[in-house]
Amino acid sequence: MDWLGAAIDGPLVAIRAMHFSSTAITAGALIFQAMVAEPALRSTPEATTVLRQQIRLVASIGFAIAAATGVVWFQLQAAAISGLPFGEAMTSDVLSTVLNETQFGLVSKVRLVLAVILATCLAYDRSAQARWLALGSALGFIAAIAWTGHAGSTLGELGNLHLAADALHLIAAAAWIGGLVPLALLLAPRRRNQDFAWASLARDTAQRFSTLGIVSVGTLLVTGIVNAWILVGSIHALIVTGYGQLLLVKLVVFAIMLGFAATNRFWLTPRLASWSENEPQLEALHQLTRNSVTEIALGLTIFAIVGVLGTLHPAIHLM
Amino acid sequence: MQRSAIVVIIPLLLLLATGEASAHALLDHAEPRVGNAVATAPREVTLWFTQKLEPAFSSITVTNSAGQRVDAGKTRVSGNQMSVSLRSGGAGTYRVNWRVLSVDTHRTDGSFTFRVGQ
Repeated sequence: MDWLGAAIDGPLVAIRAMHFSSTAITAGALIFQAMVAEPALRSTPEATTVLRQQIRLVASIGFAIAAATGVVWFQLQAAAISGLPFGEAMTSDVLSTVLNETQFGLVSKVRLVLAVILATCLAYDRSAQARWLALGSALGFIAAIAWTGHAGSTLGELGNLHLAADALHLIAAAAWIGGLVPLALLLAPRRRNQDFAWASLARDTAQRFSTLGIVSVGTLLVTGIVNAWILVGSIHALIVTGYGQLLLVKLVVFAIMLGFAATNRFWLTPRLASWSENEPQLEALHQLTRNSVTEIALGLTIFAIVGVLGTLHPAIHLM
Repeated sequence: MQRSAIVVIIPLLLLLATGEASAHALLDHAEPRVGNAVATAPREVTLWFTQKLEPAFSSITVTNSAGQRVDAGKTRVSGNQMSVSLRSGGAGTYRVNWRVLSVDTHRTDGSFTFRVGQ
């Protein structure tokens, strides 16, 4: 038995990582808006325009990258599926067969529809309804990725559990890693001279994001355990297979991220609470911003690992 | 930010060092069984895989001991199972060649033999 495409497909791995990251940042910014920013703005309404513009900018840039990388992902994947060199695979025959006769093609079409809805909502962001529709389509846009991966081909009832766990895992990862981007922008101390009660807004959003972070981490742990149980199956497989070892690397990066998040939650955010005009806790704020940027970098590392993991054989089938 | 640069770079290096890659749907079992002998030529060959298959990109060909195609051509795919009807090809060693695309977009292929009437 020989393996087709036995080497890592570099361009495919890279484009997957970029697409997952940008999709997560898009969805994460909109989750941040609904769960963190809008509730916090109730007590600081003067910041509404600035904060909404900032979030919309993050979501729009994320979406533009996700749309471009999504198209390239489909083309690279179609070439990989057909087994032809990239140039020869870019025919209407190959592309339409992949689009119309594979699950990857079906999911791509569903995600295209969601992308059009999301783009429209981001372009005409005038009402609360548009923001909720944007959030809904962004959640669908990232969750649908589960159907393109290992979870999409797991057999039987276990397959449904695997899909549900994977979709939730993607949404939770987006909420945490993607939400950090608008948070870091908001906390950046250059904003301290804004004419609204910025300090109180910074504290309020940091606290609300901590709560969202705890829910996300809990969801990531539970769904991650389900996925690992289905795809790896044993501690032995985790240690001896390439898939398991790479998953371990991912877990180490996750643990480092958790360390930063815990520092933010239990040490730095409480120090913001003692903030007043005369006693700025600038050091805590600087540290919080730095930690958030580091967490984002670690999160992007995890997406790079996920880009590879999806192309590897799950450990469970090698044992 | 030097410390954080290190915690980003080390996992990436580890990632690059883990150079194992492969494809996905593996042959779970087959009927006639891989490597076994059967008394008379079977009417069809059925293969079961570890994952769901894409019908448009999955197929089986079967040749007899003389190297002639004995499959009827059209491979039927359902879930993780695919089969092809056989024409009579006499006694001897039959070779089954399969290539599949699993639903998670990975291609695998392989082959095995079984014996008829020996």
